[in-house]
Amino acid sequence: MNRLAAVSVLISTLCVALWAQDARQIVAESENRSRSKSQQYEGTLEVIGASNKVSVKRWEYRRIGSFGNSKAILRFTAPAEVKGVALLIVNHTDRASDQWMWTPAIERDRRIAAQDRSTRFFGTDFSFEDLEERDVDQFDYKLAGDDAIDGAPCWKIESKPKESKTSQYTSSLVWVRKDNYVVAQIEDYSKDKLIRRIHYADIQNVSGIWTPRTVEVLDANRKSRTVLKLEKLEYNLPMQDEEFTLEALRRG
Amino acid sequence: MGKLAWALLPAILCAQNFNQRGFIETDLSLYPETAPNDSGQVVDDDLFRYEASYKALPWLRLAGAFDARFDTHQEVERTAHLDWQDRSLQRPALSLREFNATITKGKLTADFGKQFIRWGKADILNPTDRFAPKDFLTVTDPDFLAVLAARVTYDTGADSFDFVWQPRFTPSRTPLINERWTVLPEAVDGVVLVDLGSEFPGRSAFGARWNHIGSGYEFSASFYDGFNSLPDFQSEPSAVQDTIDFVRTYPALRLYGADAAVPLPWFTIKTEAAYYTSPDRQQDEYVIYVLQFERQIKELSIVAGYAGDAITARTPTLQFSPELGFARAILAHAQYTIDSNRSVAVDTAVRQNGRGSWLRAEYSQAFGQHWRATAGYSWIRGDEDDFLGQFHRNSFALLALRYSF
Repeated sequence: MNRLAAVSVLISTLCVALWAQDARQIVAESENRSRSKSQQYEGTLEVIGASNKVSVKRWEYRRIGSFGNSKAILRFTAPAEVKGVALLIVNHTDRASDQWMWTPAIERDRRIAAQDRSTRFFGTDFSFEDLEERDVDQFDYKLAGDDAIDGAPCWKIESKPKESKTSQYTSSLVWVRKDNYVVAQIEDYSKDKLIRRIHYADIQNVSGIWTPRTVEVLDANRKSRTVLKLEKLEYNLPMQDEEFTLEALRRG
Repeated sequence: MGKLAWALLPAILCAQNFNQRGFIETDLSLYPETAPNDSGQVVDDDLFRYEASYKALPWLRLAGAFDARFDTHQEVERTAHLDWQDRSLQRPALSLREFNATITKGKLTADFGKQFIRWGKADILNPTDRFAPKDFLTVTDPDFLAVLAARVTYDTGADSFDFVWQPRFTPSRTPLINERWTVLPEAVDGVVLVDLGSEFPGRSAFGARWNHIGSGYEFSASFYDGFNSLPDFQSEPSAVQDTIDFVRTYPALRLYGADAAVPLPWFTIKTEAAYYTSPDRQQDEYVIYVLQFERQIKELSIVAGYAGDAITARTPTLQFSPELGFARAILAHAQYTIDSNRSVAVDTAVRQNGRGSWLRAEYSQAFGQHWRATAGYSWIRGDEDDFLGQFHRNSFALLALRYSF
């Protein structure tokens, strides 16, 4: 190899390394800016089927901790027949989350196995996996260029799960807004096929944290959509670890 | 309560700390065949259920549930008293299904009162689930009954320790003697059976359970010392010719159990086993176990497994034992969610000797925010001397309509 070729290879390698580092840093900064001790909101979900039939669900969401070792409980409040059904999510930095579902009608909790996480969550277009937090170190990142979402300039970043991360998605494209580091859109792929598109809108500053108040999930296979609106959103409320155990899931 | 408190009551109840829900449901069962002791082929069963909970203080939660029932087949009592004991042979017309207080202090939770306590991890059969008597008036479709108990749980997240003391016994409700889910042997043809009621145990029951959640697995160990909620039928000499008097007694039971759930890359294995011993030698001693595999493939959920038993000591008593009746069998449940409103489900149990089988298929559809309709068929086949097979005349179609609020 002549000197010019060697220098070219070195520069290319350095550029790739810098790109990769930048992409990871952007995602890490995005996570940092959304960091809070706790979060609480009431969510209204409109599930819009392929035939435009709409069903409405509501849940209450409480989370303690931020990306990494956070825990969350999500409890349905409507419709009446699923009222009380709840999901406990225990996120881990080094592996996929643990999840348990509580069904009050049979007074039983059920662990959601990792291989079942691709299933739709209770008739919505979210899968169980979409409800867990994605720790920055469980993925490899590559900057895929610049783009705009809803007119806002964004970094477009490709992420792939590392081996330690069990995921239904082989890769994702993440759009991060350049002005406030908020994730504006995620496209999840299995091989090259689009599985889900999650679009974040209505971004507002709540207690110093830029937060999308509307999340729209498109299930590309079923052609159905779920629109989640976050109401009564609050950060950094006092919460205890004991409120996020299986026992707490049971007692409601 | 003062006038101010009364005035504030609606506001208190409307507060976020108050939760309520319930439903009204009508079930229509259609039996194509009559049974020797039951000519009824169309049974209507109506249920109104109301459940409420109130978080009175950050550490105190009160919960209650009320049932009102009516049916066309005399499975429900025709008296209008409010029952809280669940000891009657028929279902009470009005009953306090649940009433309890939950006190929480850090990792410690204490529940006092009439409550549901569920142990075990398997979905099809739960040998360790000893504080969960059932209503077996329709054997293939039992409903759980609450128990009057004090329960203390210490939960660290990874480990939980559960201690239960049940001062007052709650029996399982067995099929009524004059209805199709009691299949009488030919030997008692022409004999009058006189039900002398039940002799309930006088002492309390106790149980303890340790559950551990590991990285990718869970297991529990449990102990129970109390009574079998399922009765022995003891016959007594009668002064009248061609008459048999019988009484229900509840044998003492000591149980050692364990259960585990291990999610693997392709499916989840769940297993549960219990060794039942009989301190008063009034029932068989045996091990009963379940091994099941669980998998979700997109909208299809499948649970399939085997329930087995090994009897270690026999006692010549006549016992109603659906747990052993569903053992030595392949059991399965499958559910397919068509969309957010519609689903189909199939349950089956097939005895390994082929002498009894049960299959239930159901279609369910929600209409709007409140209504759900279900149509299904339970198909039972087998021999007279098999627990499942004896109900071969009881295949039935079910139509149910529920309004939830």
